[in-house]
Amino acid sequence: MKRFYIIGFALLLAFDSLNLVCFKLAGNQALPVEMSVAWFARVFSHPWIYGAVIGYIGAFVTWMSLLKHAPVGPAFAASHLEVVSVMVLSYWVFSEPVTPTQIVGAIAIVAGIICLAFAEGDEGAHDVVPA
Amino acid sequence: MQGLAFALWLANLLLDTGGQLSFKAAATDKLAGDGLARWKYMLARPWIWVGIACYVFEFVVWVAFLSLVPLSKGVLLGSINIIAIMIAGRFLFHERLSPMRVTGILLVAVGVAIVGAGG
Repeated sequence: MKRFYIIGFALLLAFDSLNLVCFKLAGNQALPVEMSVAWFARVFSHPWIYGAVIGYIGAFVTWMSLLKHAPVGPAFAASHLEVVSVMVLSYWVFSEPVTPTQIVGAIAIVAGIICLAFAEGDEGAHDVVPA
Repeated sequence: MQGLAFALWLANLLLDTGGQLSFKAAATDKLAGDGLARWKYMLARPWIWVGIACYVFEFVVWVAFLSLVPLSKGVLLGSINIIAIMIAGRFLFHERLSPMRVTGILLVAVGVAIVGAGG
């Protein structure tokens, strides 16, 4: 069960990050933004948008597989690790600034997920699944 | 927060919570089986579609909400959804909330709020 969670959440994180980075790249290449068919056509003429679509579908399938066993409350909280990965990727790929406040937030998120991982060891087996 | 922004905030909270609970209901259906058969079964039942519908509406509500408030305030809202879904999971799916789990979930919620505020 431990391996199921590690692989599941790693996959979810990868698909979510792929989705957001591809969206940003597709949006950048389709500038300027306008509410027109031409803008839509520009967005879909770049291969990046299809990476975003793959990210969406992959994340959905992964999430539904995780939810088969994972309690929704803790799992939903843990899925926010994406906030941290996207922060790192936006710094690395797009050279966006990261503020000290954001680093404090990222540390809180990671600390929370470590707590959730420990909690899983203690009580994961006791969750009641409705019939 | 203005009246309309508050209404949109509330709608986002309800749709996000409703969507996640619907997905959980779809995913834990014991008759669903495994692999491809599980997907065929889930896609033929209402819950997964209720969840997807919630997400589509949530997307529209979210875009409208963000057009009314600064992004940092908007991201704060995401952290409230985490707590709402924790409480809903407790009551609807009998998920145990040990001190360790609650601490973890609250830390994530606070972290998301801080990242939003610092952006």
